[in-house]
Amino acid sequence: MPIDLSVEHKLAAPPRVKRRTLRIIGTDVTLLESVRQMAMADLQFDIEYESLDFLTCQRRAATHPEHYDIYEQCFHNLDIVWHWGALQPIDTQRITEWGNIGDLSKLGGVSKYMRQGYGDAPVRKLYVQPDGVIGQQPMRYISMLPTAHNVDSFGFDRRVFGDEGPEGSSWAWLLDKRAKGRIAIVDEPAIGFFDAALAAEASGDLSFVDICNMTVDEIDNLMALLETLRQQGFFCDSWKSAQDAEALLHAEKVAAQSMWSPSYGNLGPMEEHFVESVPREGYRAWHGGASLARHLTGTKLGMAYEYLNWWLTGKAGAVMARQGYYMTVPENTRQYLTEDEWDYWYDGQIARSDLVGTSGQTVVRKGRRRAGGAYHQRVSRIALWNTVMDEYNYAARAWNRFISAVREGKP
Amino acid sequence: MSRASGIRGQEPLYEVISQILRRNIESGRLPRGLVLIEGPIARVMLTSRAPVQAALRKLHEEGLIHRFRGRGYLVGQADLDPIRRPISEFQLDIPDRSRSALAIRGTWMRVYDQVEADVAACQVFGEFRLIETELADHLGVSRTVARDVLSRLNERGLIRKGASSHWLAGPLTAHVLREKYQLSAIVEPAALTLAADFIEPAEINKVRDQIRQGLTRESDAYEAAFQKHCLERAPNTALVEMIRNNRLLLSSVNEALNRLGLPADHVAVDQYRILFDLIGSRQISAAAEYLKEHLRLLADKNVARLKIVALVPEAEAIPEYLSPL
Repeated sequence: MPIDLSVEHKLAAPPRVKRRTLRIIGTDVTLLESVRQMAMADLQFDIEYESLDFLTCQRRAATHPEHYDIYEQCFHNLDIVWHWGALQPIDTQRITEWGNIGDLSKLGGVSKYMRQGYGDAPVRKLYVQPDGVIGQQPMRYISMLPTAHNVDSFGFDRRVFGDEGPEGSSWAWLLDKRAKGRIAIVDEPAIGFFDAALAAEASGDLSFVDICNMTVDEIDNLMALLETLRQQGFFCDSWKSAQDAEALLHAEKVAAQSMWSPSYGNLGPMEEHFVESVPREGYRAWHGGASLARHLTGTKLGMAYEYLNWWLTGKAGAVMARQGYYMTVPENTRQYLTEDEWDYWYDGQIARSDLVGTSGQTVVRKGRRRAGGAYHQRVSRIALWNTVMDEYNYAARAWNRFISAVREGKP
Repeated sequence: MSRASGIRGQEPLYEVISQILRRNIESGRLPRGLVLIEGPIARVMLTSRAPVQAALRKLHEEGLIHRFRGRGYLVGQADLDPIRRPISEFQLDIPDRSRSALAIRGTWMRVYDQVEADVAACQVFGEFRLIETELADHLGVSRTVARDVLSRLNERGLIRKGASSHWLAGPLTAHVLREKYQLSAIVEPAALTLAADFIEPAEINKVRDQIRQGLTRESDAYEAAFQKHCLERAPNTALVEMIRNNRLLLSSVNEALNRLGLPADHVAVDQYRILFDLIGSRQISAAAEYLKEHLRLLADKNVARLKIVALVPEAEAIPEYLSPL
């Protein structure tokens, strides 16, 4: 009787266990290679990152939940992704550090005396209500685990605007004629739109009843103002990623522009001239997080919870801190930062030594102090949050037309 | 040779309709005292209401029909006892010549649904102008038919005349959506209350069974059932008409969003179950209150759904006869 060699061979081969993999989509705000490596080492399974630009990420998350296990983006993206039914609620009883997550995420402000700011404060989108919508009434289940967050402003050239002075700068500088022809704005409609809106209100050109929930008329007025300024040549460009923004800076094309925290560590030759503003009107805040894809069950769901819990252990928080982002559960993050790092990034103290960024390069020189000061000071001055407002569909279409015109340099 | 030349030789549609009605009244097929109402006649003739209106006015001027204390006209004298029976029961005698005239005009009925869906769906993308000639070309019909389609869309509140008398549609904004739901929340509980004694318990129980057995998880089916078996039972045609038109744009937009791949709304199905249970047990004022809350939630949910549309590029969905403004 002939021997079936293939069977023999199969039996003889060592058992091949396929390593399990967790697939994550997000943006370069949180999908950093160093984070992925640390997570894989701690969690004993593979992690795949797919880093996308903001709008693509949001669209993919909403329409193709089967292509990922975890979605990392921001609370303001949930209005779209959650309502598309792409995600499943997170059980806070399976989140070990849930009790230690701070009030900024859970209550919307660091103290009851602080305003929550206009717009999509995470608390307004956090809890899954009994009818399936997301809202701020505390519930056991949440839509997104709050993780990295920060407050943003704009950057300006001191040679053009001088120093801020004690009263701070103003968002009005982002549409100031001193910077005419050298202004750039981030192109994301839930973010750049509000940089422009804050500037228009601060300059006294327009006023909005609720800046984060504008009426169609208010949107039309803002877009008309921006279009007029565009035709007068105020804007030189728009940008999609922090790298794009840095490229504009290095080419000395901008005197005032939307800026995100990591870019201040990569100013290069502009280091002496380009400054992070502390606007007197307050900051535009954002809050990131991680959500579970609708299809997850069983083992995969267990792995996803492990990954979510890992995010709060502090290692990822330390990486986030080195690009200027804060983490929920800061005390855990503190364990993985040097004292100098903690004091500079979270405590607003003068840097006692040069500090390195996420890839080992120096991002803060000894003797510098973080613009706006300590965590508490900064997050106590939130004017508004990145927002997908009621008229988002209308506003985003108008905004995208404006951005295309800026990019194409139409007359 | 061309379609257009054939159409040009025809008499106006209202003439064709008035001839048919006159013929059937004179022959006694439509009995004296019968109540003539535009809507049902338009359905039999496969036209919009406007030409039926004109035809009835003409017959009225001729003294063949009369106004009475009720909606519509009476065949014969005004003092007759009104006979309320559907016109479709009377097997109208329609001469071949008129029948073919109607059939050509009836083309619009076949194309209408698609146009209505397109026009409702485009509004989420902004404001559009409809051009009659391009609509006719797109549909492969005459301008007369295109005009019938436009007048029907106008009757149903889906398009309007702009300042320079162009036909305009949209934009459907969150504000418009909220206004429509607000109007629903005002008029629908009132209609439900009025309808209380006219609602057929057997129909309600049938729907309750369907929901309980989970035959469909699409809330749209229950929404339609609620409109038909409850709201439209209100003995006030003007109110029912208002509700129908107000819901029209909402349900067309809803369908458009569903076509984009949005998942079924299970929570809404649960709400319809409660609503039908309340109505089925004759707790009408509780049902009217619950309806208000249900509409408030629907408004919020649909404003959120509208945000999703921002992800959909315009070019994917818009036929050529709609040009963006």
